[in-house]
Amino acid sequence: MTLTMTRDAATRGGGSPRPHRPLITKRNIPYLLILPALLGFVSFKAYPILAALYISLTSGAGAARTFVGLDNYVRLVNDPLFWTALWNTALILVVQVPIMLLLALVLALGLNSPLLRLRGLWRLGVFMPSLTGLVAYGVMFSVILSKDSGLLNWVLGFFGVDAIDWLGSPFWARIAIVIALTWHYTGYNAVIYLAGLQSIPKELYEAAMVDGAGAVRRFWSITVPQLRPILLLTVVLSTIGTLQLFDEPFVITGGGPDNSTLTISLYLYENGFRYFDFGYAAAIAYALTLIVAGFGLLQLKLTGGKK
Amino acid sequence: MINRRGVLALTLAGTLTLAACGGGGEKAESGGPVKITVWSWKPASDGLAAVAKDFEKANPNIKVDVQVIGNPAIWEKITVGMAAGGKGLGDILHIGIDYLPSYVDKFPGGLADLNKLGAGKYKDAFAKGLWPTVTGKDGGVYAMPWEVNPIGFFYRSDLFEKAGIDAAAIQTWDDAIEAGKKLKEKTGASLIGLNKPAAGSMDMDFYQSLLQQQGAFYFNQQGDVTLGSAPAVQAMTLIKKMNDAGIVADTSGEGTAKKLISSGKLAVLPWAAWAASYIPEMRPEQKGLWRVMQPPAVTSGGKRTAIVNSTHLAISGTSEHKAEAFKFIEYALTKPEVINKVFKEGGVFPALTAAYSDPMFSAPTEYFGGQPALKTFVDSLTEGADATFYSSDYARALKIASDAQTQVLTKGADPAATLATAAQQLAQQTGRKLAG
Repeated sequence: MTLTMTRDAATRGGGSPRPHRPLITKRNIPYLLILPALLGFVSFKAYPILAALYISLTSGAGAARTFVGLDNYVRLVNDPLFWTALWNTALILVVQVPIMLLLALVLALGLNSPLLRLRGLWRLGVFMPSLTGLVAYGVMFSVILSKDSGLLNWVLGFFGVDAIDWLGSPFWARIAIVIALTWHYTGYNAVIYLAGLQSIPKELYEAAMVDGAGAVRRFWSITVPQLRPILLLTVVLSTIGTLQLFDEPFVITGGGPDNSTLTISLYLYENGFRYFDFGYAAAIAYALTLIVAGFGLLQLKLTGGKK
Repeated sequence: MINRRGVLALTLAGTLTLAACGGGGEKAESGGPVKITVWSWKPASDGLAAVAKDFEKANPNIKVDVQVIGNPAIWEKITVGMAAGGKGLGDILHIGIDYLPSYVDKFPGGLADLNKLGAGKYKDAFAKGLWPTVTGKDGGVYAMPWEVNPIGFFYRSDLFEKAGIDAAAIQTWDDAIEAGKKLKEKTGASLIGLNKPAAGSMDMDFYQSLLQQQGAFYFNQQGDVTLGSAPAVQAMTLIKKMNDAGIVADTSGEGTAKKLISSGKLAVLPWAAWAASYIPEMRPEQKGLWRVMQPPAVTSGGKRTAIVNSTHLAISGTSEHKAEAFKFIEYALTKPEVINKVFKEGGVFPALTAAYSDPMFSAPTEYFGGQPALKTFVDSLTEGADATFYSSDYARALKIASDAQTQVLTKGADPAATLATAAQQLAQQTGRKLAG
């Protein structure tokens, strides 16, 4: 209303009256609608990603930055700590992801059961760990895992198990990370599975029951195939997440002891913010990106997820 | 899953650019007083804030805002600010010796050369060994020494007595190891404690002090790697000897060290000057049980003193009020009565040698059984310690040395071989030469 009036006033004010072309047309409205997201993407994602690529080809910091070509990448390949980090990450990935996803599936089946009472409460309980903040999480686990006064060793003591040096032994420190990760993310995956389970049409089960299929048969022939895309999604997400693992080793073990829980992201952080070696840190970031992309493609290929 | 963990990996550069937008660098309104901001951490900042008020009274045209950034948060904040070309930094920055060379080398112009503001005349005003560490390769002076931490040897006199040990007779660390065996046998207490697996945090102060007593460190003055040198191996061998004798307690884990101290399971705390006020605060009920002396020497007749670390005040290279900032630094750090007030309020041991003539440095301390505890440290500083060259790659060296110590303590690795590998790794990662 106001707009029209002003425009009229302007036209009357002088100059040749031109046919007005509206700013917003059918053609450009989709672009206008995605503009805020696009601006956000360009300034907070695209720019840093490209800047990091350039930084990875340089050495030094601030005013002392010089172009060094692929030096950082050559150094990376020859860096034993990078391979240690890669190996640690792979170990944790191979052990933790299957355990977590299996557990999540079992939890989801339980939560989805019509026999379960106080369903909301249980679901909240399962999901709660994924909402825990980094610092609270770190403090909690250092108390639980403490060798002499930790909750876990206290409980194990009742079963006659000797105190385990959770954070002091390379082997147990890795197990500690696996436990923490599983605690943190199982609920998250369980909720995804739960949503998947609820979208499976009941008619399929009813028809199978009429045909005389037992519970186990129904699980393997209906639930699993129907959940397949969601299973694939969680496997890919968890793999990528674990490859980028940072929080847990950062707050619980600090990468130790003797680098046994050093992960790629943690090594990246140390190089960037402890050693001020931004060029090298950016090179690690790009190496990590390549690895993640490679894994993602491989998984999609292997599981035929493209169909 | 991906959102929680994934953000960090790729947005490194973005964080650097964006995080620099907040805080700092306020311009004075025309005619009004100039405002300078100081970045520091507690409790040192309390001392500085106390004298800032006096300074403002004497200089009504300058306002000093002491901000408690916190340690270790301050390092990342300064790094980010410097990477952004100095935007958003405080005018005055409290910087530890472990970070100073990194900022100076990696961000040329990030810190102001204080020589241009007249710092040169204070060259000999501070404890020996400090001035070379604040001087850059180009001869510029990039910070003024504020706090110095000479090493001490805090011991439980009651446990020593029970084991029949005369502390004064302990001249070398080898003597201390023999005493440690007796202590263990008679009292069950360990000589010292170390976080053996370096779980949670690294525990290298003790090893470093053994190096510093020998005038050595991870690097020499030229910046070459000395982590594999004879003094480095000797220091690690001493630690291995102690560990093999079963007199080193493992302090890894939340609150373990404190628990061992309260239950009398640690006979010695090889801590620096800051502990003279920290131990009484931490264990008031152990009043009268602790004493302090200079640590034993590494080799017989060798040096018993060492400066563990020091902290400084520096001025940001992009500060618009460098002259006013230096005026405040001069006021706070170079006047005995002012720096002693900072010491009383903030608990940081002054680097200014003229400050030590104050009677409080020779006064008996009730907590230490009437012993003049601070005098031990003043004596050390008067005797003079060697300068420690942290270099711009200290963080990397610290990590690699800590890994080596963990291997020696938890896997029984051979000190010489472990340190040789570590030195090589350090040289490879930093592009530095191995010292000959």
